[in-house]
Amino acid sequence: MAAASATAVAKGNGGGGGRAGDASGTRKKKGPGPLATAYLVIYNVVMTAGWLVIAVGLVRAYLAKGSYHSLYYSIEKPLKFFQTGALLEVGIVPSSVVLTSFQVMSRVFLIWAVTHSVKEVQTEDSVLLFVIAWTITEIIRYSFYTFSLLNHLPYLIKWARYTLFIVLYPMGVSGELLTIYAALPFVRQAGLYSISLPNKYNFSFDYYAFLILIMISYIPIFPQLYFHMIHQRRKVLSHTEEHKKFE
Amino acid sequence: MRHHVEILDAKTREKLCFLDKVEPHATIAEIKNLFTKTHPQWYPARQSLRLDPKGKSLKDEDVLQKLPVGTTATLYFRDLGAQISWVTVFLTEYAGPLFIYLLFYFRVPFIYGHKYDFTSSRHTVVHLACICHSFHYVKRLLETLFVHRFSHGTMPLRNIFKNCTYYWGFAAWMAYYINHPLYTPPTYGAQQVKLALAIFVICQLGNFSIHMALRDLRPAGSKTRKIPYPTKNPFTWLFLLVSCPNYTYEVGSWIGFAIMTQCLPVALFSLVGFTQMTIWAKGKHRSYLKEFRDYPPLRMPIIPFLL
Repeated sequence: MAAASATAVAKGNGGGGGRAGDASGTRKKKGPGPLATAYLVIYNVVMTAGWLVIAVGLVRAYLAKGSYHSLYYSIEKPLKFFQTGALLEVGIVPSSVVLTSFQVMSRVFLIWAVTHSVKEVQTEDSVLLFVIAWTITEIIRYSFYTFSLLNHLPYLIKWARYTLFIVLYPMGVSGELLTIYAALPFVRQAGLYSISLPNKYNFSFDYYAFLILIMISYIPIFPQLYFHMIHQRRKVLSHTEEHKKFE
Repeated sequence: MRHHVEILDAKTREKLCFLDKVEPHATIAEIKNLFTKTHPQWYPARQSLRLDPKGKSLKDEDVLQKLPVGTTATLYFRDLGAQISWVTVFLTEYAGPLFIYLLFYFRVPFIYGHKYDFTSSRHTVVHLACICHSFHYVKRLLETLFVHRFSHGTMPLRNIFKNCTYYWGFAAWMAYYINHPLYTPPTYGAQQVKLALAIFVICQLGNFSIHMALRDLRPAGSKTRKIPYPTKNPFTWLFLLVSCPNYTYEVGSWIGFAIMTQCLPVALFSLVGFTQMTIWAKGKHRSYLKEFRDYPPLRMPIIPFLL
């Protein structure tokens, strides 16, 4: 679900999380002023670079170790830094704040409240699954925004952004769900983030049950976001085709 | 001189209905009734008629000849969707918490462990809380039936599901903890409970006083709006400082209840309620300012001097 942030909020051509001043290819909308544009370009370039660092880190670790297991540790710090940094996008994006923050919060939740908090899952292969999905998605997404801001968007990037999600989104969702599932027994055992009665605030919280509810929530949410993106793809890519005819 | 009225669909511009020989002093309400005759599935409450497809809805009281139309008036129709009366919604959303809380209070089976079925709490505050919570919702039900005068007859049907989920859900969540066998009474004991009860009672009286004052502002069957002012009742003096003292007192009641029960879910419910009521109060305050040029400048929407 979090892996979909690439285009899940794409309304028309830009949409949500980190759309950061996306100028849609055809209609010239009133864009941000020069100072805001500079800020947005820098932001998007830095984020693209950050996720490239993560990608390179994964490849190097794989080559050094000779296996794809436990690669999480080699990119743990940049992953936390750049994914958490995406919180900055929530304020500056023109589109729905609700949708953007929902996307970013779910990613941040997975990184901190699951993977970081439950050390035992850090060696799970499912972690690699969502990290790869997120990495590829974000590199494409942030470069898309960068190029859009500079009014020079290569068709390849646009195509990649609106096509690769078809595979990356389910891949990311699988990784996320498997990771949460793997964390469950350890949460139960340690009573992680849970509080039981009696206590003076007359409140209880069962993190184990909460995680199960989160997993169940993927069932109604994932199809909606996925099919929304498929719909967006048809709109955006067919629109570009029409314009290509006139070249 | 009689008018003709044609009604078009606001989205498709399709001609839905043509009414000839309509009296010039006919109201929109009467036109809606005529429209229903040809399209019975669109009862008046779900009709929105406007002069412009994207414009504002015309009011039921508007008179045909006073509108900027010629002898043939063109009205655009928009379906508001299934409607439900405000009274029905209020009664349902308030009856739920009343009933649900009692299920937990009496420790009906399958909520707590079997050994607790139909047992009673040994803490006085738990019994007091039940009385307060029940009183609160009985008061709301009675006010809905006998006190409030609603501007709108209906609201969209989906609201009842949304509203009931909120009220019933929170009621169950709070009641679960307060009536739990492992409930912990307030840290400062009877002192805390007495203070909290005083806050609760004062705010309930205040809230009721405001509801009565607002009712008296508006004659039966009318939809007039006037600026509310303080009356002889001291509880209404809060009107000097806020536009919506009913909301102020409501938040106060729930804060009282939270202190009385020392229960975090109650505090959270108060916070969510406060947020929603603040939004409503700000809206109401804005409407007052727009409608009345002489609106008292000292007043804030919900919290004196602050918010």
